[in-house]
Amino acid sequence: MSELALLGVLSSAVFAGTALLYATLGEIVGERAGIINLGLEGVLLVSASTGFAVTSLTGNPYLGVLAAVFAGGLMNMILGYMVLNRKANQLASGLALMFFGFGLSALIGKEFVGAKIVGLPRLALPGSSGLPKLYASLLHFDLLIYLAVPVAVAIWWLLFRTRWGLGVRAVGESPETAYASGRNPRLVRYQALWLGGALAGVGGSHLSIAYAMNWTEYMTAGLGFIAIALVIFAKWHPLYAVAGALLFSGAVAFQLLLQSSGIQVSPFLLSTIPYVLTLVVLMAWGGRRKAAAPASLGQIYEGTE
Amino acid sequence: MNTRNLRTVGLALALALLLAACGGDGAATTTTGTADASTVTTTTAATATTAADPCLIVGALYGGPVTDAGYNQAMHDSVMAISENISCVEIIEAENVPEEAGATSTMENMIQQGAGMIIATAFNHQYPALELSNKYPDVIFEHAGGWEMGANFANFFGEPPDTWYMMGVAAGLMTESDKLGFVAAFPLGWTLTFINAYELGAQSVNPDAQTVVAYTFGWGDATKEAEATNSLINQGADVITMHVDGPATVISTAESRGVYSIGFQSLAAQQFAPEGWITGIGYTLGDTLTWLTSTVIDGTWEPIFLRCGIADDCMAMAPYGPNVPQEVKDAVDQARADIEAGTKVVFAGPIVDQDGAVRVAEGEELTADLMGSVDWFVEGVVGSPR
Repeated sequence: MSELALLGVLSSAVFAGTALLYATLGEIVGERAGIINLGLEGVLLVSASTGFAVTSLTGNPYLGVLAAVFAGGLMNMILGYMVLNRKANQLASGLALMFFGFGLSALIGKEFVGAKIVGLPRLALPGSSGLPKLYASLLHFDLLIYLAVPVAVAIWWLLFRTRWGLGVRAVGESPETAYASGRNPRLVRYQALWLGGALAGVGGSHLSIAYAMNWTEYMTAGLGFIAIALVIFAKWHPLYAVAGALLFSGAVAFQLLLQSSGIQVSPFLLSTIPYVLTLVVLMAWGGRRKAAAPASLGQIYEGTE
Repeated sequence: MNTRNLRTVGLALALALLLAACGGDGAATTTTGTADASTVTTTTAATATTAADPCLIVGALYGGPVTDAGYNQAMHDSVMAISENISCVEIIEAENVPEEAGATSTMENMIQQGAGMIIATAFNHQYPALELSNKYPDVIFEHAGGWEMGANFANFFGEPPDTWYMMGVAAGLMTESDKLGFVAAFPLGWTLTFINAYELGAQSVNPDAQTVVAYTFGWGDATKEAEATNSLINQGADVITMHVDGPATVISTAESRGVYSIGFQSLAAQQFAPEGWITGIGYTLGDTLTWLTSTVIDGTWEPIFLRCGIADDCMAMAPYGPNVPQEVKDAVDQARADIEAGTKVVFAGPIVDQDGAVRVAEGEELTADLMGSVDWFVEGVVGSPR
């Protein structure tokens, strides 16, 4: 396999993995505070359709991203109200949020199906201009792609190097202890959910505004659930999430390369490779991951009032 | 990946098998030259006087959104032409009906509302419509692109293979890398026939041209379409085309990567590629559906296996893009003239598949009723046909 083909796979993987990485980072922040959001798929869809709609209306893709960030945050606030104020079961609330997201995103996106938008501008990777044309064309990325890894580092810093992050992790381990030490678990969880939703919003908007440049119903096609699996793979750590997202999207790009490389293997079979890989990774790393999970994940905090 | 895709894949497999099984039989009368203009106008004049009550309610259903700038929009535009041409016809529409169960209940609902004719346009609508045609013998059912026939059930469609050959001629002349990228939804018989015709057209002007295929396993999965398009471009393809429902993602992606594109399904695809657009083909079945509807109204409808091509205006070519040189346009015109004159038959033997086996022998032709069950790629296509 040529260098160019491998660089091509890498370029495809970076393109496809960006939305997945933002979504995974968002889920990590929420789960670090003890909230598992199974509705991530719905959050991604609503932010993708909102971002697309705003881009289509204003002609400005950056406004679209901004709108998607708010849409993602607001979706997570719905989950927050259910599980923090109403003390509803997290898993059931998440699934309900997902189905709500299916419907709401379809409603928002309805008028914009088939609309032509100006996608996020692509900027050449600095220093790639000296490369041959075929290579250089693989290295044109949009701003959200360039920001993906810096954002992952920033989230790591926020969670592990700041007082606020300490509070989030403390609440995720034991809200009672965090409360005893003067934190407000409900407030911290709302903040973490808002940040997580905003990150998922960036991911959703990347999908519709930068990647596909199109809105179709249910366009995430399971991406939200892959992100939830990647959180476990990444041991709830933002930097490992970068590797996880790249591995999964790399597998997607690789199976497409195999499909069109002329080998006579059923493309039906090839297209399952990324998902089989996800299963294998989860199985291989399964039990030992448990220790890394925030202790209060998925539990209802009854509060002290 | 979830059950939805598995189910779609399973369904497609099952239908593909059925397609293969049923491909040979059926009293397939291929009719060309359909829309008799005088019939249509007389009907309009006769029925225009009976304004208030609709002379016929037509129920039309689509697998996806009718604004997709692709297949569903092309079908929607064709259906709307009926009520523009015959003013007393009332149209009831339902979009986003991809599943069989949904199609059954939607059609039942339309019949309850008085529909005397059903136009079902998605692949998955065929068998629900066929079953309902037995239950409601007084309602006429027309399916787009199917192969089953019944007393009150027939099908209609454009004939894309010849036009795909013309697109191949354009692509083969425009490519610099000799690699043409084709994004396909599923490895179905008709899709493979389109790809084969495209590659044969490209080879006719550029013996080195290859068509590289990537599947998305969904008719409207934008994310997968972007993945597949990027993958093909990263492998060196510099002309991209597709057989999925909507062209927005594939053509926008090609445009953003600075490569050429060729559209299919609806002529509206051109808007997504102001620079890299070569040309495209779309379904324009408005006159055919108008004629079919007029025969339902005057009681002369008969079940015919109706296929009509670009010469009958059932398909149309989009305008060329700004960067297409005159000699390419001339070559496409020449190919079209040869096909229409009958001096060029796209699938005339000898045709050799990827493994070198002869699929169509010298002096023979691949007939239309076999094109739907093709399970091989011609030499020069890169990808798996199964």
